[in-house]
Amino acid sequence: MTSAPFSLRFGRFCYLAFNVGVVVFLLAPIAIVFVFALNPTPYIQFPPVGVSMRWFEKFFASRDFMNALWFSLEVAVLTTVAATLFGASAALALARGRLPGSRAITAIMLSPLMLPAILTGLALFQTYVLLDVGRPTWGLVLGHTIVSIPYVVRTTLAVLHNFDTRLEEAAQNLGAGALRTYFEVTLPLTKPGVMAGAVFAFIVSFDQFPISLFLVSPGHETLPITLFNYLKFDLDGTIGAASVVSIVLAVLVVVGLDRTVGLRSYAEL
Amino acid sequence: MSAAIDIVAVTKTYDGRTRAVDAVDMAIREGEFFSLLGPSGCGKTTTLRMIAGFETPTEGTIAVGGADVTHVPAHKRDMGMVFQNYALFPHRSVGENVGFGLRMRGMDRAMIARKVTDALAQVELVGYEDRRPGQLSGGQQQRVALARAIVIEPRVLLCDEPLGALDKKLRQSMQFELKQLQRKLGLTMVFVTHDQEEALAMSDRIAVMNAGKVEQIGTPSEIYDRPGTRFVADFIGDTNLFRGEVIRTGGTCVLRVDSDLSIELAEEPGTIGPLSVALRPEKIVLTAPGAHAGQGLDGIVESANFQGGSVLYRIEAAGRRLLAQQPNNGSHELFQAGAAVALRWTPSDIVILKD
Ligand SMILES: Nc1ncnc2c1ncn2[C@@H]1O[C@H](COP(=O)(O)OP(=O)(O)O)[C@@H](O)[C@H]1O
Ligand SMILES: [Mg+2]
Repeated sequence: MTSAPFSLRFGRFCYLAFNVGVVVFLLAPIAIVFVFALNPTPYIQFPPVGVSMRWFEKFFASRDFMNALWFSLEVAVLTTVAATLFGASAALALARGRLPGSRAITAIMLSPLMLPAILTGLALFQTYVLLDVGRPTWGLVLGHTIVSIPYVVRTTLAVLHNFDTRLEEAAQNLGAGALRTYFEVTLPLTKPGVMAGAVFAFIVSFDQFPISLFLVSPGHETLPITLFNYLKFDLDGTIGAASVVSIVLAVLVVVGLDRTVGLRSYAEL
Repeated sequence: MSAAIDIVAVTKTYDGRTRAVDAVDMAIREGEFFSLLGPSGCGKTTTLRMIAGFETPTEGTIAVGGADVTHVPAHKRDMGMVFQNYALFPHRSVGENVGFGLRMRGMDRAMIARKVTDALAQVELVGYEDRRPGQLSGGQQQRVALARAIVIEPRVLLCDEPLGALDKKLRQSMQFELKQLQRKLGLTMVFVTHDQEEALAMSDRIAVMNAGKVEQIGTPSEIYDRPGTRFVADFIGDTNLFRGEVIRTGGTCVLRVDSDLSIELAEEPGTIGPLSVALRPEKIVLTAPGAHAGQGLDGIVESANFQGGSVLYRIEAAGRRLLAQQPNNGSHELFQAGAAVALRWTPSDIVILKD
């Protein structure tokens, strides 16, 4: 009689403790970054000795960092647009087009996920050298796009697989041609998947390191590369401040997309 | 304006070998309530989808209002359709769902709003314009789907088992309303169902399908009282089937089933050799055994299944089990299991079947 409630309580306690543990594990790096960014000493110190904005001031005052931040944003936005347009249409073709070998094509589309990005970067680098095109911005965007497409394809395919094609037929039956059916029915209903893919594409590009390592031109680098170069000589709170800015930007993008176009599905309505 | 549909020698194969629809001919008249009835997988949906333009026939032609539409895309066919799961747009309100077809036709907003209100009134859903389909019950969704299909004043209304998901009571009232609406609007209706009672109750004519082929086309009473084939007799309602050899004994034609049972035929079968016939349970009259005139058998009641308005008997007679149904209206004696009975019928109630 008494042992049953106890074991139940104990079970609940373990369950709760486990979940708290997971959350702490996931959030700890972010917390450390924040502590690092706000702590005034020029080296990593625990416990922190105070709160200051000096590393943020240094970060925003640095021309190198600011150029890198804007360049990263530019590349991330271009990558997001390219990967989303291409990935979403590819997913639609794969799900609907009755293409021969669509399974093989899907596997190829998703393969950059399985390949170490450093190999993709190296391969692109060698290709650009062979083609003698130098290191243009579009080359970098192309590299980022290749590794972002799998996310868009994956999230869009997931929604399309659960999509009731009779909805498209209903639209056609009511007089909508192929294009109108796509914009009136297919796109609005697959939007949560497409948008989730777009968010992934943005973050993959904005945080991209291995691909950029091979494809940026010296003096015109993305933020992760600039941070890496900075790290080689200085290890102070500027790195932390830059990371905080990156995290905040990523959160803003997700929240912004959710507010404007919406990431939620209509299934719950 | 409603239109007639002519389906001529239409065959559809999805894989190049098996025929989902096999050399089907149907002449559906203007303003007619026409049902496609048959077991699951017999090709009803495929036939309907070819009329709607979602599938192209492998062979044959489909004409609507005299014009060949075999290769006209679905969005140019001007047909209303109620889908099996309703297929309402979940991201649009009820009003937007119903107005969708009108908007595709480029109608102005004020006109759309008026027509949507009218259509929702037809299906008794006034005031639901701003709800989402997900907030409605199954029966209400069904009505929205119907309103969305009729508001465009289609030449033809196609329905694929529209009432299949509703519970029995609701289904019966929707059957009635749907039929009323179809009559009032004078719509040509092609209605797919696997429910024979529904087809018999609602249709002007029924096409009974089996394995991609049309077995018989006729009015409900023709289909029920004069089934043309063994399949139709067996599929529609309860029936007693007999198979035997035709022999002639002095002017009358007799089907010899076996040594215990010979059945007199009222009409001369066109063919010779083995033959199937059907006898509906309610055409058999049961009396206490004794001197019985005409065609008949003696048997023992195996079970009596009281059904309220009637009693369905299983009877062991001539080494086989027969079904007999008697109305519970006081004019017929009721029997218990184990009772000895005489079965009688008139030869003209024996229906000769094609295999
Ligand atoms: N899209 C399809 N691809 C391949 N076979 C199909 C397809 N649709 C239906 N079939 C086949 O065609 C036959 C008829 O199906 P259907 O028209 O859906 O029958 P019903 O509506 O009478 O149940 C079935 O054997 C079914 O498996
Ligand atoms: Mg079907």
